[in-house]
Amino acid sequence: MSADNVTARTDEYLASLRKALGDVPIAERDEMVEEIRSHIFERIEAEGQATERVINQVLRAVGDPNELASQYKVEALLRGAAKSRSPWVLLRSTLRWAMTGIVGFIAFAITLTGYGCAAVCYLCALLKPILPARIGLWLSPEHTLTLGYWNGRLSGTEVYGISVRPPFSFVLGTLSATNGPVREIYGPWFFPASFLCGLLFIMVTTYFTKWFIRKFGWRKSSHSLLLRESLSASSGSER
Amino acid sequence: MSKSAGDYSDRWEAQIRKGCLELAVLASLWKNRLYGLEILRALEGNSGLGLAEGTLYLILSRLKAEKLVQSEWVDAGSGHPRKYYWLTEAGKQRLHYMAQFWIQFSATLDALLEPVLGRKEHAYVRR
Repeated sequence: MSADNVTARTDEYLASLRKALGDVPIAERDEMVEEIRSHIFERIEAEGQATERVINQVLRAVGDPNELASQYKVEALLRGAAKSRSPWVLLRSTLRWAMTGIVGFIAFAITLTGYGCAAVCYLCALLKPILPARIGLWLSPEHTLTLGYWNGRLSGTEVYGISVRPPFSFVLGTLSATNGPVREIYGPWFFPASFLCGLLFIMVTTYFTKWFIRKFGWRKSSHSLLLRESLSASSGSER
Repeated sequence: MSKSAGDYSDRWEAQIRKGCLELAVLASLWKNRLYGLEILRALEGNSGLGLAEGTLYLILSRLKAEKLVQSEWVDAGSGHPRKYYWLTEAGKQRLHYMAQFWIQFSATLDALLEPVLGRKEHAYVRR
């Protein structure tokens, strides 16, 4: 195989890797691609000859560019997220993580619930001046506390928002009909209280998600696929 | 060995090897600055970890992000540059801690396993 052909095959592989790395920051992406390029040329040199069989073997040993990129992206995203305070970055990162396994899914579910609660608090604070009689912190006869929107009916009462019935029940969404009227308990303190609650939800969710990523993030999730492949390859060669 | 037992041992071995990857990569850098292929050769020769090649660079980028290793591109005169890695002070400390833990842990496990395999077989496996 000529030197041009080797370069063309390597460039083709690296173009796939670069494309698969997608939204990884450009500097980081270039670094990774250059490093893999250097590795491929080193390996071919070490083999002593650049035949088609050798280059195929080398590219196979480096790994499928899509799988490599997929692992790198999750790691890079989680590394960035562990340093970030942006709810958007944390949500996006845990969503990507959720696609790789159950731990990621748990992280995403917790993050989504936490920020969802914060969104409800801020939405209520914003809507209170527009719908003063329908937005509030409602207490039902069953002692369920709901922050959100009341449908205004005394029978067939429904409330939408965050509901808590101490000590165990928690609902983010719709609470079905309750027996009897609800009453608003915050009164004039509603705006500052819901604003502060929203802030608290954001802070606790951000802190918890970052801790969860550091504790269970990239260290636990990566390399299993590529390592398994290499193991089966090595056990195959032993046979 | 039955298929399920084989699957289990594959999974178990993969977990054990996966858990040791960082220790092995850090250990390969204890004495020298090495570039990717040299690290791979050190791991293949000494650890039997069977590391997939592309994965090494994921581990190195993570170790670098954690400031356990540092790196530098060097023009080796071979037509393409090489990226050399070496341990930082934090990397040396981490490796020292991991090595101490590993020695204690494996000694305890060895003592437990000796009666399982018998003295002769155990000595053979260790060799």
